[in-house]
Amino acid sequence: MARTIDDYKIKWVRPVKLPSIDPRQSGDLGLNVSVKPTDLKVLYDKSKELQDADEIVKKMFTLEFQPRKEAKNLEREKVIALVKRHICDRASAEVKIAAMTTEIQYLQRHIAEQRRNIKFKVFLKELIDKRKKFLKYMRRWDYKRFEWILERLNLIYVPQPKIAGKVSRKDALRRLTKDYCDGIIQQKLDIFRAQLKEQQKVFFAQKVKNLEYILAEEKKYDLNPTVSEKEIDVARKKAEELLKETSPHHLSYLIPYAKIHLSKKDITM
Amino acid sequence: MPRHKYHNCVVMAHNIARKQALTYLLGVCVPSSKQNAAKIRIQRADFDSYLSMYFTKYEFIYATDPQKLCKTGDTVLIQSLPQKLTRLITHKIVDVIYPLGDITDPITGKKVVMGRYREHIEEDAKLFGDLKSMYKYDEAPERGITAGKRDFTDKKTYIKYSDDPKDYDPYAVNP
Repeated sequence: MARTIDDYKIKWVRPVKLPSIDPRQSGDLGLNVSVKPTDLKVLYDKSKELQDADEIVKKMFTLEFQPRKEAKNLEREKVIALVKRHICDRASAEVKIAAMTTEIQYLQRHIAEQRRNIKFKVFLKELIDKRKKFLKYMRRWDYKRFEWILERLNLIYVPQPKIAGKVSRKDALRRLTKDYCDGIIQQKLDIFRAQLKEQQKVFFAQKVKNLEYILAEEKKYDLNPTVSEKEIDVARKKAEELLKETSPHHLSYLIPYAKIHLSKKDITM
Repeated sequence: MPRHKYHNCVVMAHNIARKQALTYLLGVCVPSSKQNAAKIRIQRADFDSYLSMYFTKYEFIYATDPQKLCKTGDTVLIQSLPQKLTRLITHKIVDVIYPLGDITDPITGKKVVMGRYREHIEEDAKLFGDLKSMYKYDEAPERGITAGKRDFTDKKTYIKYSDDPKDYDPYAVNP
């Protein structure tokens, strides 16, 4: 007799608590823009003077020899270019979200290296929340654009659950047990359904035969026919349909054992 | 006080004879765990007699929606059914009045985003010189292409209670 939860195949693994600044929590799947160390600084690629300058001077203005934030600036411009409305667009909601996304992903990379930078952590958390708020508004105002921006910036939007709370062992085990029991009930129902389907096949095949016999007999003795050809055709069609339907592969092997399986389980449960 | 002998019979007869009045309600569709029924949130003003003030109160109603007319967040018109479908399902969806994030101005018949017409937004961009990257409403597919892939607002989310890699659910939020 099974008495405790350990006797069943219920295994509980406590979910890992993720910090809110983690990319898995913030919904960032990564941006597909390339920023190479050989790229020129923002706007310097348009400089006419730089085009016919010396190689060494050109090299001075590449990202390799510039402060780190220049790489971020270039990345931001490239990400903004994915969603920009017009050339002067710096203030539309999508551009703001794009700029925030670049900053968030830059800081996430930075904090992975420097874990103790608390100021950055706080700023990052606030920025993530702010972007989420912007996305929330965008969804409310313009749903299609909201979906478009999620695809453009490779983001995921998961709303916070209505019922928040901590994970507890007792609650989790209760839910898992419920899932387990529901699974057993569903399995039994599926098996029962398959059995009934099998019975239907025999039934409708027999029905066609019986109806045909009744019709023939009634015609033979000149009685008013109680069965029409239409009814026979409907039954025949149904029988053919059922024959075509093959029982689901994962269940078919269970049918011969269903009775034994059910009775055994019933005792143990 | 003793009731009349036929009190119950009278009440029953009254219930049967009462004329069925079909009522209409306007509400917002919220994520529902029922398959063929939408959960509708109805806002009501609840009077507090002690403070002599009205407070907002929400009531939840299940409305049958076999055609899947409404999506989460839509403002819909529902009608009471002459007979209850189940213990919970008492109404049916008549029409979607305001789809979420796709509002049409009832006076001019133009599409609106927040306080502006869509046309005007596009015209502004054209004046500056619009780019290929600009979002185009006319070319955008119908709502729901990212539902269940990127946008998880269509169903209820919950705090993840077990870490089983076999049954991964994107609607489970990490604690």
